[in-house]
Amino acid sequence: MSELHLIWRNLVRRKLRFALTLFAIFIAFLIFGVLGGVRTALQSGVDLMADNRLVTVNKINFTQPLPISYLNKVRAIDGVQVASHSGWFGAYVRDSRNVIVAFAIEPESYLQVYGDEIRLDPAQREAFLRNRQGMIAGEALAKAQGWKLGDRIPVQSNIFSRSDGSTTWEMVVEGIFRGKEESSDTRRMYFHYDYLNESRAIGKDFTGIIVFNTVNPARNETIARQIDALFANSFYETQTDTAKAFNKAFIAQLGNIAMIITSVVSAAFFTILLIVGNTMMLAIRERTTEIAVMKTLGFRSERIFRMVLAESMFLSLLGGLLGIAAALMAVAGLHKALAGVLPDLSLGPAVIAQALAIMLALGLVTGLLPAFAAMRLNIVTALGRN
Amino acid sequence: MTKLFELHDVAKRFQRGKESITIFDGLSLGIEEGDFVAIMGPSGSGKTTLLNLLGGVDQPSAGEIRFAGSRIDSLSETGLAAWRAANVGFIFQFYNLMPMLSAERNVELPLLLTSLSRARRRQSVEAALKLVGLEDRARHLPKELSGGQQQRVAIARAVVSDPKLLLCDEPTGDLDRATADEILKMLSLLNNEFGKTIVMVTHDPEAAKYAKRVLHLDKGRFAGEELAA
Amino acid sequence: MSRLSAQIVAVVAMNLRSLPSRASISAVTLVAVAVVVTVLLSFLAMANGFRATVAGSGSPDVAIVMREGSEAELNSTLTRDQVNLLLDAPGVAKGPDGPIGSAELYVIVDGIKREGGTRANLPLRGIGPSGVALRDGVEIVEGRMFAPGTNEIVVGQGAMREFAGFELGKEIRFSRSTWKVVGVFAMHGSVFESELWADAGSVQSLFNRGSRFQTMRLKLEKPDSFEVLRDFVKTDPRLKLDAKTEQAYYAGQSQRTSDLIMYLGWPLGIAMAFGALAGALNTMYTSVAMRAREIATLRALGFSGIATFAGTLAESLVLSIVGGVLGALATWIFFDGLSASTLGGSFTQVVFSFQLTPALVWQGAVLALVIGFAGGVFPAWRAARTPVSTAFRL
Repeated sequence: MSELHLIWRNLVRRKLRFALTLFAIFIAFLIFGVLGGVRTALQSGVDLMADNRLVTVNKINFTQPLPISYLNKVRAIDGVQVASHSGWFGAYVRDSRNVIVAFAIEPESYLQVYGDEIRLDPAQREAFLRNRQGMIAGEALAKAQGWKLGDRIPVQSNIFSRSDGSTTWEMVVEGIFRGKEESSDTRRMYFHYDYLNESRAIGKDFTGIIVFNTVNPARNETIARQIDALFANSFYETQTDTAKAFNKAFIAQLGNIAMIITSVVSAAFFTILLIVGNTMMLAIRERTTEIAVMKTLGFRSERIFRMVLAESMFLSLLGGLLGIAAALMAVAGLHKALAGVLPDLSLGPAVIAQALAIMLALGLVTGLLPAFAAMRLNIVTALGRN
Repeated sequence: MTKLFELHDVAKRFQRGKESITIFDGLSLGIEEGDFVAIMGPSGSGKTTLLNLLGGVDQPSAGEIRFAGSRIDSLSETGLAAWRAANVGFIFQFYNLMPMLSAERNVELPLLLTSLSRARRRQSVEAALKLVGLEDRARHLPKELSGGQQQRVAIARAVVSDPKLLLCDEPTGDLDRATADEILKMLSLLNNEFGKTIVMVTHDPEAAKYAKRVLHLDKGRFAGEELAA
Repeated sequence: MSRLSAQIVAVVAMNLRSLPSRASISAVTLVAVAVVVTVLLSFLAMANGFRATVAGSGSPDVAIVMREGSEAELNSTLTRDQVNLLLDAPGVAKGPDGPIGSAELYVIVDGIKREGGTRANLPLRGIGPSGVALRDGVEIVEGRMFAPGTNEIVVGQGAMREFAGFELGKEIRFSRSTWKVVGVFAMHGSVFESELWADAGSVQSLFNRGSRFQTMRLKLEKPDSFEVLRDFVKTDPRLKLDAKTEQAYYAGQSQRTSDLIMYLGWPLGIAMAFGALAGALNTMYTSVAMRAREIATLRALGFSGIATFAGTLAESLVLSIVGGVLGALATWIFFDGLSASTLGGSFTQVVFSFQLTPALVWQGAVLALVIGFAGGVFPAWRAARTPVSTAFRL
């Protein structure tokens, strides 16, 4: 027998109580894990973005257009490495509710800017650049829509119409790209801006946003200010930001999700803190005589303290690890189910590390008081009660 | 014979509310190594307090307590714990076994305080259980054992680390006559064959008969001493 | 009163009176249930508030006409010719100045959220002369309505609440144009209160929209004239447009978000309820263990097992009901009426308030009762089976 055995026997002596307490901890960490995954999912896309990537949008709002002529003016600015642009197309196929994320881009420069995020076979890339009606679709999108290389897809827009009144642009799947990471969202497609621009009835020679890489992130600030100054007082004033800041602001539009998650998780932990702390306190109170006997046998108070603390630590770690394990499974399941809403849903090492820290803290907080009580227990009075 | 215990002018007082209660004052006592002393006395006579002082779970308000020549009354709490672990085996009225541990693990418990190897601990536990005749109950939980069996496990626990001194607080108080005699015989054996010094608090005159010496404590004083036949 | 019910009353009363002696452990159950109910109710109140705002916005006797396949106002485009044709469409109500219809523009501008200071999408709606008459319940709460043909703007009070810089008299710059806030409007808590309104013509020119509009709202002659109108706009070769009643349009817009919040709230609430249930069971088993001798004594005195069962179950139910009430109160105090905004179906911010209704409180109460019942019934069963001999054990 080791001390560990003693601690374990103490922990599981009341099986039902042990199971229930463990379950409460399990639930709290399950909630923490799943919500932590959601929070990471909302952040991960942003965190993965290159530091030297900037976005220029219409100052009124990013949904307002920018003249395509701005692109060359941005390119002329010192420190801009490579610049491109994209425009929201409002695509759907067959049914207007089958909405597809599609952007009209300048292919060559865009693939340069996003070389890392849009991973395309060189032959497919060539084919896409050559074919004005070509498009590239993300792996996930192609799979969802059942598209294969060479397929001709009649893509419709819920915004644009052709000069002849039709709303359909026929496109050829020339490439299927993958993302930077296995988990990256690839439910989108890109096609030639020129193909759209030459045939559309409205919005000619306008695009949505300009994206570019700078030679050095340290110069981001200066370059952004220079660009915005260049277009100040024009009809289309601009607002230039890092891609990170831009996307962060967009996520913030959904609401203060981080705060909601933090509140819920806090509520859950507050509850188990009470439940576990109280259970530990009861457990120690029940064991008054035993602890006094152990002390009589010569166990030192510090050792008793350590054993009680170890017990609560153990309980918290066990419940917590089980909860996180279940959260990993739940997130893996939800990853499939929520691919459309939260493509990057996953439980990363950062969340797990946080969970571990909370487990230790929980174990400490719930064990400290009972451990202290056990340590301070006076043998004479405790045995006298008997 | 050498003195194992020497109590000199020991006093024990404690506060109950505003009132100071004196359990005893100026108590002196010597216990020889190898002795078997029964302490008798009415409730409140201070016999349990005396046992607590001898066992180093309580400290005197004044006076000296020497064990094998060294003072234990001035030891720190930590020092006392180590002293108890090394020198004293305790036997309680209600056995006080750990309910979630099997008999053998209960016996092994004090050995966690030593640096013995797992194999040596195992040997000691087996020997102790054999001594009390419970080797076949080693895996049983306390609740699966009778009162007498539980007390035998407690005795095994008390002797497993081979202490010089056994302190027994009403060891037969919860047992029927026959079982009590069995336990008392076992204590006698430990005293006679293994040289354990035993101090036993009891109010059962039958139990006291097993002792070599009976001390009557009344209102904090020894009323008289009788040597067992 | 029958003997059994008298017994039950006696035991229940005795249990409840002894609750304070188990104060800390009972309080834990109470608080746990309260927290669970608060979490659930706050999510339900959020979903409900959002739905009430968006779904409640649309009127059944206004039709909204958009370009085919647009799905949202933002995406749609209508030409001046189409707008004129629509005014003469069958089923459109007529006022003293002719058919009642408002050709509108819906452009997105940036607002700065008061909380967090980030930029967020706000809709700026250009409305026609009938734009206000068409909508029931528009009310200017401060200042006045914009004058047609000017760069004046009125702000919904929701937008005003959540976004900075739209106070009465403030000037707002959109690109080179400057707009002046001349009024604040309310519209029975609808989604329109999250919008900025200006004259359609001014928006057209200052946002370079030429003579194009985005949507057309038409007042229906009578409720069943919608069918006629829809067939007309769909089949006329010059139109080929989609028509929906405003009510259907906004119901569709609210569905996804409010469902999402509900789908988040319920599983969370249930998961947490399981955690609280574990706590409640712990409490009740401990309570039964602590009262074992008392229960056995009652049984020895001749009280029936049913009475002791009822006593324990009642204790659990009382704890959870009080917890549930505290949870509902906490939700009501801290969340009811709380203003929030999120991105709605039109890609713009929808300002809404958390709305706790009796129906929701009832759902919270049911959850609390389920916890109380499940947490009490097993321990109560154990209590009922406490052997009478326990009373005589030393």
